[in-house]
Amino acid sequence: MKKRDNYKLDIVPGVVLALFALFYMSQIPGIKVFKGLGSTPLNNHFIPWLWGGALLTLSLWLIVRGILKYRRVKAEGKLSNEGSLLKSLSDEREVILSFIALIIYVAFMESVGFIIMTCVYVFAQILILTPTEKWAKNIIPALITAVITGCLLFYIFRSVLNVLLPVGMFGFGL
Amino acid sequence: MILQGLMAVFQPLTVLWIAVGVVVGIIFGAIPGLTATMAIVMFLPVTYSMSASQGIATLMALYIGGISGGLISAILLNIPGTPSSVATCFDGKPMANKGQAGKALGTGVVFSFVGTIIGIAILVVLAPVLCAFALKFQAYEYCALALFSLSMVVALTGTDMPKGLISAVLGALLATVGLAPIDSRPRFTFNLFQLNNGFALVVLLIGLFAISEVMSFAESVRRKQDFTIEQNVKMKGAGFSLAEFIAQIPNAIVSALIGVGIGILPGIGGGVSCMISYTVSKNTSKHRELYGTGIMDGVVASETANNATIGGAVIPLLSLGIPGDAATAMLLGGLMIHNVAPGPLIYEKNGAVVYAIFFAMLLSAVFMLLFMLWGMRFFVSVLKVPKNYLLPIVMVLCGIGAIGNANQLFDTYTMVGFGLMAYLMIKAKIPTVPMILGFILGPTFEENLRRVSQLASSDKFYNHPIFCVLIVATVLVIIFSARANIKDAKREEMAGE
Repeated sequence: MKKRDNYKLDIVPGVVLALFALFYMSQIPGIKVFKGLGSTPLNNHFIPWLWGGALLTLSLWLIVRGILKYRRVKAEGKLSNEGSLLKSLSDEREVILSFIALIIYVAFMESVGFIIMTCVYVFAQILILTPTEKWAKNIIPALITAVITGCLLFYIFRSVLNVLLPVGMFGFGL
Repeated sequence: MILQGLMAVFQPLTVLWIAVGVVVGIIFGAIPGLTATMAIVMFLPVTYSMSASQGIATLMALYIGGISGGLISAILLNIPGTPSSVATCFDGKPMANKGQAGKALGTGVVFSFVGTIIGIAILVVLAPVLCAFALKFQAYEYCALALFSLSMVVALTGTDMPKGLISAVLGALLATVGLAPIDSRPRFTFNLFQLNNGFALVVLLIGLFAISEVMSFAESVRRKQDFTIEQNVKMKGAGFSLAEFIAQIPNAIVSALIGVGIGILPGIGGGVSCMISYTVSKNTSKHRELYGTGIMDGVVASETANNATIGGAVIPLLSLGIPGDAATAMLLGGLMIHNVAPGPLIYEKNGAVVYAIFFAMLLSAVFMLLFMLWGMRFFVSVLKVPKNYLLPIVMVLCGIGAIGNANQLFDTYTMVGFGLMAYLMIKAKIPTVPMILGFILGPTFEENLRRVSQLASSDKFYNHPIFCVLIVATVLVIIFSARANIKDAKREEMAGE
C-alpha cells in the first residue's frame, strides 16, 4: 500500500477493533461473580473491563490518527484513486483460496476423516501455491505427494504416536 | 540431578532425536520464509509421546539448528533464511560474490557455534541466580514484573506504539477466555466446554506464525523469484586460518554479550540482536569503511550475536516463565505440554529436565557445527526444495499439532481463526509478537493483581522494594518509548513532505 494510503491502515483496523472491544465488553455483565469465602476485592469483571476499555481507547486513538492523516493527505490533494474491491480480491485470490481450503479441511475432517481430507487439502493447497501455467506439470506429483502425506502422517501419528486423528465415516485406520 | 540430566540426554534415541532436530532446524532456517519457530511447531506433535527431557531436547535442537541455518541463504542468496540472519547478508553475500562463499559459510558456522556456547555458559550461570532472586517474588512483584515485561515488549518491537499496545492488549484479552483465575468462573466461553481451559498457547502460536507464513507465500505465487543460488561452494575445513580466528575473538565476545543481553529482554530475538551487534562492531572497528564490502568481521558479529541470543532467551523462559522471543514462546508451550512449569522453582521440581536442556543445547551446538561444516553441500541443495509442496505438508503437521495438544478437533478451528487474525494483523501492520507476551503475561498479571487487592490493606506496596523498582522502570520505559515514538512520527512526517 502506498504511503499516502496509510490512513486506511489506521481507520479500518481501528473500526474493526473498536467493534470487537464493544462486543467483548457487552459480554462482561454476563460473567458470574464469586462472592464466597476467599473472594477478592477486584472481582473477575475487573480485568476484562480493563483490557476491553484499553482496546477501545487504543482503537479510537487509531481512528482519530487515521482521520487526521486523511485530512492532511486530502488537504495536500494527494488522495489516490480507490481501486475496485473486486481487483483487490482478485490480487489476493491465492490467499483467499488457501483460507477457504483450510476452513473446508478442518470443518470436514471429523466427518470425512483425516486421510481423505488431508489428501484433498494437500492436493488443493499445492495447486493453489503453484502458478497456473505450471499446473499441468504438477498435477501428478501433487497427487502423489497428497496421498503419501495423508496416509503416512495418519499412520505415524495415529498408530505410532497415539494422536487421536479422526478416522471419519469410512473408518480408515480402524 | 546433573547426572540425571546427562543420562537423559545421552541415551541413543535422544541423541538421534537431537541430531534429527538439528538437521531439520538447519533446513528450516536455511529456506527463506521457514523459521525456527515453524520447525518447532511442526515437530511439537512428534514430541507428545516422548519423555519431557527427550521432547524438550528435540525442540531445543530445532531451535539451535533453525537459528543457525539462516546464514546459508543469507550468504548464498542474499535473503536471510530467518530474521536472525538479516545482518549476515551485509558482508556474507559480498564475500560470496568475491569467490569466498566457503570462507563466509565457515565463518558463520564456527562463530554461530561460539555464540551458542557463550550463550549457554551465561545461561547456566545466570538462570539459577535469577531463579534464586525470583524466589523472593510474591504477588506484588509478579504483578509488576508482568507490567514491566509488557512495557518492554511494546517499546522494543516497533516504532508504532499504539499498534504494539493493541497487539499486547489483544493477547491479554484472548487470555481472559476460559475459567477465571482464583474463582474459576467461566468467562467468554459461550457455553462451549472446549473453551473452559481457554485458548492453548500452542494453538495461538501455530495460528500466528505458521498459517500467516503460508499465506505470505501464497501472496507471492505470481511474483517472479529472481535469485540465483551460488553453486560453487567449496568448504575446506572452516575456510579461515587460526590467526584470523584469534583476531576475531574480541569481536565475537562483544557480539555474544550483546546477543545474550537482547535475548534476555522479552519479545525481541535474534533479528534485533544481529543488527545491533553488527552496528556496534562496525562503529567500534578500526576499518569500519570495509563493512559491507565482504569482510569476516560483519559475519562474525551477526552470527555470534544471533546464536548467543538463544542462551539469553532461555534464561527468563526457565527462571521466570517469560519467553524471550517467538521460538521460546513455542518452547514454553512444549514445556507446558510435558508438565514442566518454568519459574523460580524449576530447579527444585524439574531439576533433571533443566540440566537435560543444558546438555541438549550443548550437544545440539556440537552437532550443528559438525553437520554444517561437513554437510554444507546437502544444505545448499535443500534451498531448491519447492515451497509449494513443503508448506501444505507443514500446514497438515500444524493441524496435527493443534489436535494433539488436548486431543480435540476444536483446536483446529481456533487455529484457523488465529491464522486469519494474524494475517489481518500483518496486513494492518500490527506486530504479532507483543500479542504472545500479552497472552502469557495477562493471566499472571490478573491473578497477582487480584491477590494484591486482597493483601493491600495489610501489606502495603512500599514494603516491596522490587515492586517499586519495577513500577518505576515500567513508567520510565513508557515515557522514553513514547518520546522515541513521537520523534519517529515527526521524522516520518518530515520525510513524507
